[in-house]
Amino acid sequence: MKKIIYIIIAGCFFTSCVAVKEYEKVNLSDPDMNLSASKSSKFETSAQLYRESASGANGGKSGGGCGCN
Amino acid sequence: MKIFISIISLFFITISFAQEQSEDSSLTYKKRVLETTEIDFLSSYYTQDGDNAAVTGGIGTEKLTDFASDIVISIPLNDDDVLTINATISAYTSASSSNLNPFDNSGASSGEDDDDDDDDDDDNNSTRKLNSKLASSVTGSPWVESTGESQKDVWVNGNVGYSHSSDNRNKIWSANLNFANEYDYTSFGFGGSHTWLFNEKNTEFGVKGNAFFDTWNPEYPTELDSYLEADKNLNNGFFNNISILNQNGNVIDKDGTEVWNPNKYSYIEDKSRNTFSLSLSFSQILSKNAQFSIFLDLVQQKGWLGSPLQRVYFGDRSNFYVGNASSIPNYRSSSNKDVFQLADDIERLPSTRFKTPIGARFNYYINETFVVKTYYRYYTDNWGVDSHTAEIEVPIKITDKFTLYPTYRYYTQTAADYFAPYEENLSTQEYYTSDYDLSSFDANQYGLGLKYTDIFTKINFWKFKLKSAEIRYNHYDRSTGLASDIISLGFKYLFE
Repeated sequence: MKKIIYIIIAGCFFTSCVAVKEYEKVNLSDPDMNLSASKSSKFETSAQLYRESASGANGGKSGGGCGCN
Repeated sequence: MKIFISIISLFFITISFAQEQSEDSSLTYKKRVLETTEIDFLSSYYTQDGDNAAVTGGIGTEKLTDFASDIVISIPLNDDDVLTINATISAYTSASSSNLNPFDNSGASSGEDDDDDDDDDDDNNSTRKLNSKLASSVTGSPWVESTGESQKDVWVNGNVGYSHSSDNRNKIWSANLNFANEYDYTSFGFGGSHTWLFNEKNTEFGVKGNAFFDTWNPEYPTELDSYLEADKNLNNGFFNNISILNQNGNVIDKDGTEVWNPNKYSYIEDKSRNTFSLSLSFSQILSKNAQFSIFLDLVQQKGWLGSPLQRVYFGDRSNFYVGNASSIPNYRSSSNKDVFQLADDIERLPSTRFKTPIGARFNYYINETFVVKTYYRYYTDNWGVDSHTAEIEVPIKITDKFTLYPTYRYYTQTAADYFAPYEENLSTQEYYTSDYDLSSFDANQYGLGLKYTDIFTKINFWKFKLKSAEIRYNHYDRSTGLASDIISLGFKYLFE
């Protein structure tokens, strides 16, 4: 857990050294650069939720709503 | 309870933030959060097979097919607010869940609603019908798909979400309500989130809380349910006129000393299953071509966390069967088509579970043709499960309208403390399961997708303008022998 906290703190320090301007975000705005799971993979994720013990930490569902995980 | 109070507090705090934002409205020009109504249609066909069905105690066919459809409508209410409505319907046929009552194929109760809820009047009808059969005609097998009502089911889900963005778009809050229902399970849920963007929108921090208040409408394995219904008398109810066989294939004396006696079995008392989750997310732009995010979830579950459908066979108890005595030596083989072992109990698992998954995404834009998307997750819980997930997708723009999506995903997990295979749990244990989803395994998933994108939406149907269409195929192999395939179709329309 300590490592995780260190990583998060280190990540926060990145904020002070990088500031990409809005007009420089053309590539970052590409739909394929989206940092969330794609909508079209919803049912693949749902199948994994049923077949595996782990879930969550993907910006989506982490449990509840079904008699599954 | 503390988590629950925290989530409720978060919900109201987000609402108060929103009110603050609306009072702070500016007259300067601002881009709409969503220009027009968007509609996403998604369908999938899923099929799987394996040899470790949990309903039949860790052996038996896991054959299952599922057809699911999903629609998401996102409606801009004004410049700042978006209403999202999501409805999903998923219809499946399952060989393993059909074996909740494995005796259907023998004609015992085919066509009846006989999956044996304890207060289901139809059980009496099916039991009478079963008793009218000769003992020798009542058979079943974990390797044969039964034909009763539990063979198929429909899961429906509805979700309504509302989001509000501040005038400078640096704060976003949202709230959602959720409902889901299937034949033995009902769920109500709600949640809220707040996202802050700063450092010229290079950095993003989000907090999300969700609560689900779910309830089992439990269905039990036929022989166990019938055993309690007949007041543990094997000469009454379901077992009247049905011969019970021992391991040697001999018919037992139901009044003797060597009898089937599932004395650990009882109906579940706490039918609730509540889930409370708190999610933190952090995203950072690293350069003009790279960005990453980190997710941390804290999830607490309470209530009946096992499944009342799933049988367990103890290694320290004698075995008893119904069906063809000559098939008993081949019980573990898929060649067994006509004998079924009577369960010792349903799975029993602790009433609380605390899960801690942490995940990270890193995306890199290589050039106009290639993007690399990666994901890693570490997961741990207090049931003894640790897992790692690694995924990579490389979108390849083959033309200005078509993109290929090759993907690979690796998953591994350790077994839960309470898992043991068929006949390896002991009756002296407090908790036990033979559900291979809680076993130790590795899994590989390979996939390919193709997406058509038309930013000018030239293809129209009435007021629907096609923005994108996508097809995806994935194959999944688990080291336990389970294999599955899924094909998905998605269409995104603008509605004007």
